[in-house]
Amino acid sequence: MDKDLLKLKGIRAVMVQMAALTLIHSLAVVLQAKWLAEVVTGLFDGEPLQEQYGVTVLFLFAFAARQLTGMLQQRIAYRFAERTGTSLRRELLGKLFQLGPRFTAREGTGKLVTLVLDGISKYKLYLELFLPRMLATGMTPALILLFVFTQDTMSGVILIITLPILIVFMILVGLAARRQTERQMNSYRVLSNHFVDSLRGLETLKYLGRSKGHAGSITAVSDGYRSATMKTLRVAFLSSFALDFFTMLSVASVAVSLGLRLVNGHLSLLPALTVLILAPEYFLPVRMAGADFHATMDGKEAGQTIRHIIAAASSEETEEPGGSEAGRSYTRSQERQVHWTGASSLALSSVTVCHEQGSRSSLDSLTVTLPGTGKIGIIGESGAGKSTLIDVLGGFLSPTSGTFKLDGLELPALAEQSWRDLITYIPQRPYLFSGTLAENIAFYSPGASRAEVEKAANAAGLGDLIGRLPAGLDTPVGGGGRPLSGGQEQRVALARAFLCSRPVMLLDEPTAHLDIETEYELKETMLPLFENKLVVLATHRLHWMKEMDRILVLDQGRIVEAGSHEELMARKGAYYKLACAEREELS
Amino acid sequence: MNGEAWFRPYFRSYFWRFALIVLLGILTFLSAGMLLFTSGYLISKSALRPENILMVYVPIVGVRTFGISRAVIHYVERLAGHDAVLRILSKMRVKLYRLLEPQALFIRSRYRTGDILGVLAEDIENLQNVYIRTVFPSIAALVMYVLAVIFAGRFNGGLALLAAVYIFVLVAVLPFISYRLTRVRHRQLKQERSGLYRKLTDAVMGISDWVISGRAAQFAGSYEAEEARVLRLERSLRTWARWRSLLGQLIVGLAVVSAVYWSGQQYARGGIDVTLIAAFVLVVFPLMDAFLPISEAMERVPQYQDSLERLNRIARQRDGSEAGSQTRTESGKTEAPNAGPQTEESKKATASRTLEALHISVQDVSFAYGDGEEPSVSSVSLDIPQGKRIAIVGRSGAGKSTLLKLIQGALAPSAGSVALNGTEALRLAPRMSELIAVLNQSPHLFDTTVGNNIRLGRLDASDGEVHQAAEAAQLGPLIASLPAGYETPMHETGQRFSGGERQRVALARILLQDTPVIILDEPTIGLDPKTERELMSTIFKVTKGKTLIWVTHHLIAAGLMDEIIFMDEGTIVLRGTHEELMGQSERYRKLYRLDRPE
Repeated sequence: MDKDLLKLKGIRAVMVQMAALTLIHSLAVVLQAKWLAEVVTGLFDGEPLQEQYGVTVLFLFAFAARQLTGMLQQRIAYRFAERTGTSLRRELLGKLFQLGPRFTAREGTGKLVTLVLDGISKYKLYLELFLPRMLATGMTPALILLFVFTQDTMSGVILIITLPILIVFMILVGLAARRQTERQMNSYRVLSNHFVDSLRGLETLKYLGRSKGHAGSITAVSDGYRSATMKTLRVAFLSSFALDFFTMLSVASVAVSLGLRLVNGHLSLLPALTVLILAPEYFLPVRMAGADFHATMDGKEAGQTIRHIIAAASSEETEEPGGSEAGRSYTRSQERQVHWTGASSLALSSVTVCHEQGSRSSLDSLTVTLPGTGKIGIIGESGAGKSTLIDVLGGFLSPTSGTFKLDGLELPALAEQSWRDLITYIPQRPYLFSGTLAENIAFYSPGASRAEVEKAANAAGLGDLIGRLPAGLDTPVGGGGRPLSGGQEQRVALARAFLCSRPVMLLDEPTAHLDIETEYELKETMLPLFENKLVVLATHRLHWMKEMDRILVLDQGRIVEAGSHEELMARKGAYYKLACAEREELS
Repeated sequence: MNGEAWFRPYFRSYFWRFALIVLLGILTFLSAGMLLFTSGYLISKSALRPENILMVYVPIVGVRTFGISRAVIHYVERLAGHDAVLRILSKMRVKLYRLLEPQALFIRSRYRTGDILGVLAEDIENLQNVYIRTVFPSIAALVMYVLAVIFAGRFNGGLALLAAVYIFVLVAVLPFISYRLTRVRHRQLKQERSGLYRKLTDAVMGISDWVISGRAAQFAGSYEAEEARVLRLERSLRTWARWRSLLGQLIVGLAVVSAVYWSGQQYARGGIDVTLIAAFVLVVFPLMDAFLPISEAMERVPQYQDSLERLNRIARQRDGSEAGSQTRTESGKTEAPNAGPQTEESKKATASRTLEALHISVQDVSFAYGDGEEPSVSSVSLDIPQGKRIAIVGRSGAGKSTLLKLIQGALAPSAGSVALNGTEALRLAPRMSELIAVLNQSPHLFDTTVGNNIRLGRLDASDGEVHQAAEAAQLGPLIASLPAGYETPMHETGQRFSGGERQRVALARILLQDTPVIILDEPTIGLDPKTERELMSTIFKVTKGKTLIWVTHHLIAAGLMDEIIFMDEGTIVLRGTHEELMGQSERYRKLYRLDRPE
């Protein structure tokens, strides 16, 4: 049994209730059989129909009780699964926000969204199925068996022998099926992905002149997939076949053995009929558990994955110096307000980021002091640690070691909301939410007036675009809305930053993916917006560096040079080398 | 085209297979029924203590046979069902593929939202459940219904009527009510759930903004409110499902009581043998098992409808686009679209693989995507003799992609002409891959080995030629470092291959394709400057003598191009060689300085 299950809130009360219901349910099953057998035996013995009314009503009563307790059990299990699922989802979502963009980018948006929605659904289904099935398998057959022994020992013996055989066979066949699947796992994966892969590569196939002929290969691979699947299914279905087969065989054996002993006169009809009705009921819980096996396994795994993420987030939390309250990033903390002025400074000392034990550090005891205002450029080759530094400054990544001092006061972490309230962050591809243009611009300051939004839009150079759109600022953008170009997306992000007028701006490679004309225009728009702020801009586009007050050259997680463009060019060091490489003519 | 097109053809071509599956389904239910029927009969007969054991020999054999056959037949039935469905799946896939193939170059721009291709593939998987979960069991249940009534009718008209009424409730009334009651809620649930999906995707993609703006709690609040709505719907559906199964079971209970009453009465009147009382009562349970699942099967129907609608939209989209290109073709005074017969002329132009020279001449070409819309390309002229290297620069939406599609013959010009060696590009479209190769931003690397991915450029290439192409793309050391070299599956290299390396694999592929012209559609976007320079320098080295049409966002290597054109709003606003532009245009000098700061 799943250990985690016992830790769930309220599980004990639910188990007690369900166990009581299972007991009533099992009793009802037995009584229903007993009373039905009595009625039939009565008729068989030639008693008039009227005399059976009483027992018939009893039968109906037991039958209804059985169905009702079943229904109640389902209801309790469902409600419990619903409660647990909801609280687990809340916890998971909270942790996702705490882990932030670095984590979601690594795990993949699609995977996480599927986990939150479908994973939780599967887990709920698991709870809903597993609890009643477990109790029913544990209690009902035992109770029926006890009763059968009081009626007819021989039948009891047959039933008691066949159940373990059935279970052993089921497990053996299940293992064989798994081996079979694992053996052809690799080719199976390719076969089952082939179609989606083909669709995604359709454009490439077309360019290669293979798209017309590829339909044939889809047919061929689908046929391959079919025969591979059928091979697996032939074994996989054997396990439910084993269940069926042994159940039916056992029922048949009981029936035949009852018949033979009836002929000999060792037995009378009433117990025989009772046992015959009860025999299929005896196997029913095991068969249902078998039928739901895959659904429950899926759900159990989903639950484990979710717990894994939650645990990962929690361990990160305890490693953070000073961070303890759960879901901290979730609630706007009411801590001290931090004021950032031109005279402020943020000092990083010996900040180290090491993703895995023993591997090379992304940031290697980096020490730097950022002034209250000014433009800081961060440059270096890919993998030098530019993005890592921006992520640390944005509080998306907790350093393995190192400290932060804001105006001389130690800050526990940059994930503090008080620090985050000071910054805006513009990544390479800013994300536009599904909503109107105005809503997107006002994302950081939802209370802004229309006039303020318009002013911000104009400052970010969106005026032209808005003028051309029929619905202007109310045009839906983002998913399902009007698609914007990369340059326009950047301008929306700039408008956001302008509107909320926070004093610190972090930019991670804002223009490298744009065409050169857009890049040029965007730069012209950006520079005035950088005035009187602390701007930290990481890029490998060297032209930005001329506009920066100070340049930090990173190499392998260390600052190897710092200074203005002119100083660094004069020094002819690492920066000079980067600049020369850029100038070299292609051959 | 309507929904039936995804079902009916398969009914026709798989009629006998389907019939067999339904027959097996019926036999499964019959065996289960007969097992209990004969068991009841057997012990009743035995209880009469016949003189000779042989008197119950036949029912004994029957009990054993039915016991075993129910398991065996059910096993075979499931296998047959899945086999048939997988056959249909294969056909549906090809059908969907054929629908999408003609729009291959437009899918990206047409269906922007999410992973439409993945969703469509899932829809098809979803439709196969129609057969397994709904169609086969429903037909089997209907046949069982008829059989049960006929069987009952052999004994007595009253029994037949009784059976007819009870089963009718299970097989028709309850499913109908269930369908009507839940249809709207199922649809709402589906909508709400996809709303949640969108909302959550939106939030995860923009997670940094939620976190920094301090609005994460606000998001959580509004998300929970929507989740609560979904939960309410789910709960009400579940509650109904529980009531429905309770109702179904109570009907079974009543049917059992009726069977008791009827057989008791009949026996008293001498209508049936005493041994059949138990048989008739016991057979009710397994018999009803055939009908109980029908309600649930019907509830599933709305889920299929959704998938079907999406697939049909794709079909309509294609029909629409074909009609569209037809009219444009007429107005553009060009002849048959893509699929048209090959003219002598076009055959000549593409006669041999080793075609050495292709002269592209674009004259005064214009194109608009719809009537009354701004032209995406207007009055563009280009002369590209074999071996010329031309760079196209422009903002997004300047008409670069449209111009490329016109050159590739994927679009018919509204005015002007595009000729390759004197033949309309449009007529050459079916064989364009022999003339022009394309390396774009994200070439797809297929889920097969590295070697096979390269070989896609030319299927009959020898191993030596594949290796040669890989070496030319400077992949040699990388491939040598892979565990199985060229035989390494692509997905296992996912971690190891960087963006630049993936482009090199695609480069090797188009080198193997060996066309006179190569279109480079911003292949270096997303690469850092060092990788960008290295990749471009490899490309220039290995494409000597070939025509290069390079859409680029940067001006590195501008000096190596024979002509640079700047596009804006569909027209060429600036053109010339690097030296000319440096001399004449202040704007060009400014832009160039971004890439090559002094």
